[in-house]
Amino acid sequence: MNKTPDESSPRLSNSAEVGAVLKNEDSSKVGSPRITPRKRKGPGLRDVSINDNSSPHKWRIVRWSTLLFINFLFFASFYFDIQILEGSLSASRLLGFHLADPFASFQVMLASRLVKVNLVIGLVTVIVIYLMLGGRFFCSWVCPYHLLAEFGEILHKFLIKKKIIKRNHVFDRKIKYYFYAIFLILALLSGYTIFEVINPVSILSRFIVYGPGLTLLWVFVLLIFEIFYSRRAWCRYFCPVGVSYNFIGRISPFNIRWNINNCSNCKKCQQACMVPFVLQETVNKGKSEYVVSGECTRCGLCIDACEDGALKYNIRYLDKLI
Amino acid sequence: MANIEKKSAKLNRRKFFKGSTLVMVGGALAYGIGSARILRSEDLLLRPPGALEENAFLASCIKCGQCLQVCPPQVVKLGKIDQGFGIGTPYIVPLEGACILCRGLPCVLACPTGALDHEISEGKEAAMGLAVISRPDTCLSIKGINGLVFQLENLAEVKDSIDLGKLSDLLTGLVEKLTPAEKEQWKLKFQLLELSPRVVSQILTKINPVSMKWIIEFMKGAQQTQHACRICLEECPINEESPISFKEKIDPDSGKKIVHPIVQKTCVGCGVCEMKCPTPEPSITIVPRLKWKEVSV
Repeated sequence: MNKTPDESSPRLSNSAEVGAVLKNEDSSKVGSPRITPRKRKGPGLRDVSINDNSSPHKWRIVRWSTLLFINFLFFASFYFDIQILEGSLSASRLLGFHLADPFASFQVMLASRLVKVNLVIGLVTVIVIYLMLGGRFFCSWVCPYHLLAEFGEILHKFLIKKKIIKRNHVFDRKIKYYFYAIFLILALLSGYTIFEVINPVSILSRFIVYGPGLTLLWVFVLLIFEIFYSRRAWCRYFCPVGVSYNFIGRISPFNIRWNINNCSNCKKCQQACMVPFVLQETVNKGKSEYVVSGECTRCGLCIDACEDGALKYNIRYLDKLI
Repeated sequence: MANIEKKSAKLNRRKFFKGSTLVMVGGALAYGIGSARILRSEDLLLRPPGALEENAFLASCIKCGQCLQVCPPQVVKLGKIDQGFGIGTPYIVPLEGACILCRGLPCVLACPTGALDHEISEGKEAAMGLAVISRPDTCLSIKGINGLVFQLENLAEVKDSIDLGKLSDLLTGLVEKLTPAEKEQWKLKFQLLELSPRVVSQILTKINPVSMKWIIEFMKGAQQTQHACRICLEECPINEESPISFKEKIDPDSGKKIVHPIVQKTCVGCGVCEMKCPTPEPSITIVPRLKWKEVSV
């Protein structure tokens, strides 16, 4: 890790690249070749990490608490009759206002060929909420399956480390888009909400609210598959529920902001990230200031992992407006 | 050598990457097309009030369970895995708890997708199914037996332990319907100052096989038990619509007068009659989704 200052020469070409990308920000610095030695490759401008890991689990704790709290509200609505968030993740009412999962709503609309006012209200409300919160924010902050999958991922990594399983199997991330299209078309053609039978999110949510059933076995099968064969396979490659939020997330202004001046290119964010490729445009290539991929779940793991304060939650364009 | 191995491993992964996509997409299609045939459940369940026609209902229900959450008597259940596409959809088992057609139909109001149709706003507009006299041979009405006496005798038959909860329900119902003269007799028998549903608990403390026998004998002669069983109609939540009528017929074999309960058009199939029917196996049962036309033909 500790390289000597002599190894600074390969940095020069790289810093020129950064200059091309960030013309307006750091043109003065880039003009002359950097003299100070750099430790790691990458577009980040900080030379040595300040190793500030004072809050390494802050956002994870906040996020898990939120997730558990939201699902507890669902549970409490039925079990204790506390009517704050009634229903389940397919459709619910928050203090009386309809909410409906976009993918489930689309399936219902296509299968029944009816467009009901309440469902549209619920759908629009959810879209607006996640436009503000950032699309797949739903996945990491609300979805109960995501929490199980996170534990599955930890277990998977442990098994690989212990050489109990050989390797992780990587699928094509586009499969979920194919699934999205397939199940919507099937709903239209068959007149049934076919995907809802195997939807682990709604199965789990119904389990939390209304008690267990045999359908939980399917969730169990998925988890086993993720632990022993393909890491986080459902969320990453297959889940069409997340696809709706993915689309919403692409235009949502609530993003992770990457501060090039603070980044020391340690790449710890990518090691922590559950969908590491979303950080490529920022920390690898330095092409973008914001993590704008629809796949980003705004989980905050990268923020927790960053020891240089280079990553923060931010609202895109807000700083420019002000 | 190591290089070649690495390369072939890379090639293998690429192959897996492409192959697996095909397998997954194919699998999803196969599941979708196959399931449309397999997962169609044949038996019809009793759905909550306002449910659309079964196929439309299955298509519209988003499986959120909000109807279950708002159900005041908590009788709505959610479909399990054996119901195929009906998984997570609401249904009612009248024997375990029947729909009481609550005022304002909260389940219908709660439905976000219109699977429970917002067109209806009152219990009498529901069309869940129809009641049928499925066991005329045990029906107390046809046999000419009073339902209340039958229930009291059933309770007394169980030696040693009388189901006090059930007895309490029965007594609460019957004391109000006693004539003033009958009330006086009860007051004397149980040493009470007044007779109202409030003192049922006091009567219960004095229940023993002897007093139970007295109650049964008394009730056999009481005014309110002088007709055959009509519990199905009495308990019906919409009995002002008279969904069951009782017609006198002459039995062709014995020449005796018998009273036949006949389900009318106004029955919505809520299932309270099935739940309340005093015979061990309910003599009146709900056929879900049955329409009155089909019966009359």
